[in-house]
Amino acid sequence: MILRSVVGLVYAFLLLPMVVVVLAAFNAGDYFTFPPQGFSLKWFANFFHRREFMQALRLSTELAVWTAVASTVIGTAAAIPLVRGRFRGRDLLNAFVTSPLLLPQILTGVALLQFYTLFKMQASYAALLIGHIVVTTPYVIRTVTATLTHFDMALEEAAQSLGAHPVRAFFEVTLGVIKPGVVAGAIFAFAISFDNFTLSLFLTSSKLTPLPIELFAYLKYSFDPTAAAVSAFAIGVALVLVLGIARFMGLEEFTGF
Amino acid sequence: MTRGARVLLLGPYVLLLVVFFVAPLALMLAISFSRQSYGQLDWTFTPQHYVHFFSDAYYLGVLADTLWLGVITTAASLLLGYPLAYHLALTRSRWKPLLIVFILSPLLVGIVIRCYGWMILLADRGLINESLVLHGWLAKPLPLMYNKFGVTVALVHVFLPFMVLSLTGVLKRIEPQLIEAAQTLGASPRRAFFEVTLPLSLPGILAGSLLVFSLAISSFVVPILVGGFKVHVLPMIVYEQVLSVFDWPFGAANAFVLLVISVVLIAVYIKVTERALRGIV
Repeated sequence: MILRSVVGLVYAFLLLPMVVVVLAAFNAGDYFTFPPQGFSLKWFANFFHRREFMQALRLSTELAVWTAVASTVIGTAAAIPLVRGRFRGRDLLNAFVTSPLLLPQILTGVALLQFYTLFKMQASYAALLIGHIVVTTPYVIRTVTATLTHFDMALEEAAQSLGAHPVRAFFEVTLGVIKPGVVAGAIFAFAISFDNFTLSLFLTSSKLTPLPIELFAYLKYSFDPTAAAVSAFAIGVALVLVLGIARFMGLEEFTGF
Repeated sequence: MTRGARVLLLGPYVLLLVVFFVAPLALMLAISFSRQSYGQLDWTFTPQHYVHFFSDAYYLGVLADTLWLGVITTAASLLLGYPLAYHLALTRSRWKPLLIVFILSPLLVGIVIRCYGWMILLADRGLINESLVLHGWLAKPLPLMYNKFGVTVALVHVFLPFMVLSLTGVLKRIEPQLIEAAQTLGASPRRAFFEVTLPLSLPGILAGSLLVFSLAISSFVVPILVGGFKVHVLPMIVYEQVLSVFDWPFGAANAFVLLVISVVLIAVYIKVTERALRGIV
């Protein structure tokens, strides 16, 4: 009983800031008070009418799509030998390919900024995209690895003994079975890129601002609930993505329990 | 799998990492040992930036504050996260998927948004203070934000999911029979917990703590937004040196100090978990 109430309180703590943001977005007043001062969509209207937010939203979406596509292809390919290959240094290689995920992103951000500046590539779309691919691919490798480990090699061997070329056997049999991990990885890569702040901060310019950076800039000068509307929108996107992962891969498998 | 196939499949990502991850970090190390005059890098070797960092009481103080904030955040995340993970590992509730969504969604909601949520709650005219003053329970607002308290609260919130996920994975793999056996042999549930479950979950505690500590000491969004630049931490110095002061060598040296600490923590983390590739965290 005590455990249950403690657990309930901790969940409340986890959800509270998000709930408050969403309530503030629909609240009519300039300041968020409790109880709310009436329902209004004006902050959303303001969000959708401001050009800088719309441009940022478009950039973020586009960037997240390309990031997800690229990291899914590269990550899925890399996961196969990491699971199936028997070679020296595999564990080391495993640690190496996951390192962008474990190293604080501020360090990757600073290093990339200096690197890009030296090679006159700073604040370009390509530079931002590559940065995002570097940090999202390890997530795809992980989700694909999780499903690939359960895969029964006999299936692929059966396809091959029935005359399929190994490449064809992979695309028609294996890929079908590991699809949940691949799709969940793609969704997660999209989410990480769409919400990325830390890395983007070092790789953007005034002409190239993804949504989280635009929101950050807005919050530095004003405290009005337009920021809450932007945030509520992003929270909605995150929820849809979590449900997508749940549907394709199952959350227990995804979290690695 | 042939060697050729292996190279073909792993090649693209390894190449990408070497060019856009390893090389930039190596360059950062080189810059941290170089000089800068009038905004131009001068490639003469000098350890002066590290000497500057480690001989200036201000920077040593910032380093100490950063590590201390990391310790508090880790301890609080462990205290709050353990009951959550324990419950999640054992529950047979049909609401379990929803509980996992609750834990995962903060991970997918951007850090700026989560900080903004705390700003709405903790500001002087924020939800908590306004409500307390309105009801006459407080004469003037409590200082909840722009100080270490607010930063710690937000940091715990941001990194708690990592702790819960690390712990749940380990707790779930503990055989229930072990706990039953302890109880059959006469141990009270409390004793069974402290003598069986807790020791067996130590790897999860260690892994989660290393992860949260390493994330907490490198966070700068929280100190900037919730701390309002008033709580000085190492990653914020890196941010300022690189993006506002434009002192790259000194910024790089600061970043490298942070990097050395992180790499040591990560190495221990990988050693402890021996599962660099299972699960999402």
